[in-house]
Amino acid sequence: MIQVIREDKRTPAEIEHRLAQAGGVNRFGEPNFRAVWGWSRLGWIGGKWVDRDPATGGMIREVVEARWVPKYLPFDRWHLERWLPPEIYGSSENWNRITQETEGVQLVEALGPFPSRGEYEHCLTLEGPTGKFVQLDGSVCEWVVRAIEYSRGLPASAGLRALRDREEKKGTDYEKWAYDVLDDAMPALHGCPFVVVPRMSSADRRTADRGTRELA
Amino acid sequence: MPALANAQSVALQLEKVRPKVPVLFERDDILLTLIQKRADAENVSARNMRVPLQIRPGGKASQHTMDGDDLGLGSGSVYDVATLSPVFETFGVQITKLVEYATTGNERAVENATKREVASGMKQFRMYLDALLQTNGNGVLGSIASFASTTWTLAQPQGAALFYYNQDVQVYDSTLTTNRGSATITSVDPLNKQITVNANPGGLANGDVIVPSGLSGAQPTSIFGVKYHHVDSTSGTWLGLSRATYPEALKTPHFAAGNAALVPANIRVAVNKLRKVLGTDVLSREKLIAYMAPEQEHAWEQLGVTISEIVRNQVPSEAPMPDLLFNQQAEKRMAGVPIKTSIHADTTRIDFIALKRWGRAIMKEIDYYEVGGQTVFPVYGASGGLASSYLFYFTTGLQIFMDGPRYGAFVDGLAVPQGY
Repeated sequence: MIQVIREDKRTPAEIEHRLAQAGGVNRFGEPNFRAVWGWSRLGWIGGKWVDRDPATGGMIREVVEARWVPKYLPFDRWHLERWLPPEIYGSSENWNRITQETEGVQLVEALGPFPSRGEYEHCLTLEGPTGKFVQLDGSVCEWVVRAIEYSRGLPASAGLRALRDREEKKGTDYEKWAYDVLDDAMPALHGCPFVVVPRMSSADRRTADRGTRELA
Repeated sequence: MPALANAQSVALQLEKVRPKVPVLFERDDILLTLIQKRADAENVSARNMRVPLQIRPGGKASQHTMDGDDLGLGSGSVYDVATLSPVFETFGVQITKLVEYATTGNERAVENATKREVASGMKQFRMYLDALLQTNGNGVLGSIASFASTTWTLAQPQGAALFYYNQDVQVYDSTLTTNRGSATITSVDPLNKQITVNANPGGLANGDVIVPSGLSGAQPTSIFGVKYHHVDSTSGTWLGLSRATYPEALKTPHFAAGNAALVPANIRVAVNKLRKVLGTDVLSREKLIAYMAPEQEHAWEQLGVTISEIVRNQVPSEAPMPDLLFNQQAEKRMAGVPIKTSIHADTTRIDFIALKRWGRAIMKEIDYYEVGGQTVFPVYGASGGLASSYLFYFTTGLQIFMDGPRYGAFVDGLAVPQGY
């Protein structure tokens, strides 16, 4: 049986072009945004690795090293990234302070060398609400890029307000949902007696009304 | 035949909705209910539960010529047992006689009043339990930075986020040794991190800590929260096991931000610590979430790598643009990890929680408190006579555990963005 253990994909040139047009280019002439396939986007992870038996989950070995592994999950999805300038990561001394780890007597760079040309960071995973695969599409990518760029232009206070509103709404959403759930536990028409009346034509209804009046 | 008294009517309505009580409780929108009930916690007595854990793997590997050489001996896994004491949490709902006067003769009105009390009571009870889940297992919901008369200003990071109006609380000294007494909260101001109480307990001092009503004795124990399990230390105990015995297995990898603002490197360092232990595909296999307060979600938005909540809210389903966010159902992610925000979370931390490794040991499922089939109880006044109200209770007995503190990671000491 052939088992696919890794699927490598390259972003189509047309998508790259549309992303560059929507998001512009950075100081190095590279696009600010790019789409990457999960399996193809690799990054350094250094430190003590614990290798486990896939069948039993038991530990096989521990080894201190830097590995070049997929940066984002899920591996089989497209991810959108945005370029962040090196200033975001502080100085190289600060980078070393943050990311260097000591394992026994070894000093390892947990995230690899200082990103002196900046680094692309994860923005969005293209997938459906239940984690379903979504194909890479130029229009979708453009929309996301414009949404992120628009977001960057908004005042911080507005973003703060939106987050607070969303959290407040969670409480009212729960109450509304709880009322609906409790309604399901109640008998139909809240237990009031009722009879089913067959649908009448307007002529029948006039006759019935006349009969009722005569009876009265 | 006598008319149906309202107490009976309320009891009848409560029974009608009784099967829905677990449904209301289990909605997975708070951290407590995202943690699944697990059957591997075994009741061994009225007070303790045992969770067997494989702390260290067994087996010895070696290379051989197979030319008559010695294959050596093997070894077995190291197992130990974590022990838990479930705590019983109860939430009393009191309905006054006024409800009866407002609803007499109309079953639907009684039904609505009962529904309202069940729904709002459950909402509050869940909030209370979720608040306890943010603590380090000692029930401390906040600590007093300063006080003026009966208004207490609470210390960061939690501030007043874990309290609610009319909650009964107790005050302990900062070492959790002396119980100074009780108070009832009369107002909560989370933005200013203040609560006001009916009266100060005697001897109140700055640095005192606040715990829920019902805890007793020195160093009380409550629900084991995130800060109980996610600890980067080799001293102390975890679920009855000494961390010093298994130092590598009983501590949680963490990154100390040192009061610096959130940057992507913090997150990647923390997540990678987890990936090195659990495998590179841990994020999806272990149902990993990045659990944080809105403050840190806002800090992440400020980095400009995500779509702001404002934009997400502006994309109704009928919008003439691709509904990529699936009507806001698409998850917001932090370095690829789904974000779960809670107003109860510590504002200076981000916890990477591997949900599959966590469990709820349940000794008593959520239900009404029942005595001889009765779930509604009369209230007695100070004179010994009946008071004009009646009570019902939600009650549950549970404790939170995980397979091992190593199966998580956290970033702490993050700066809170301006505006909070």
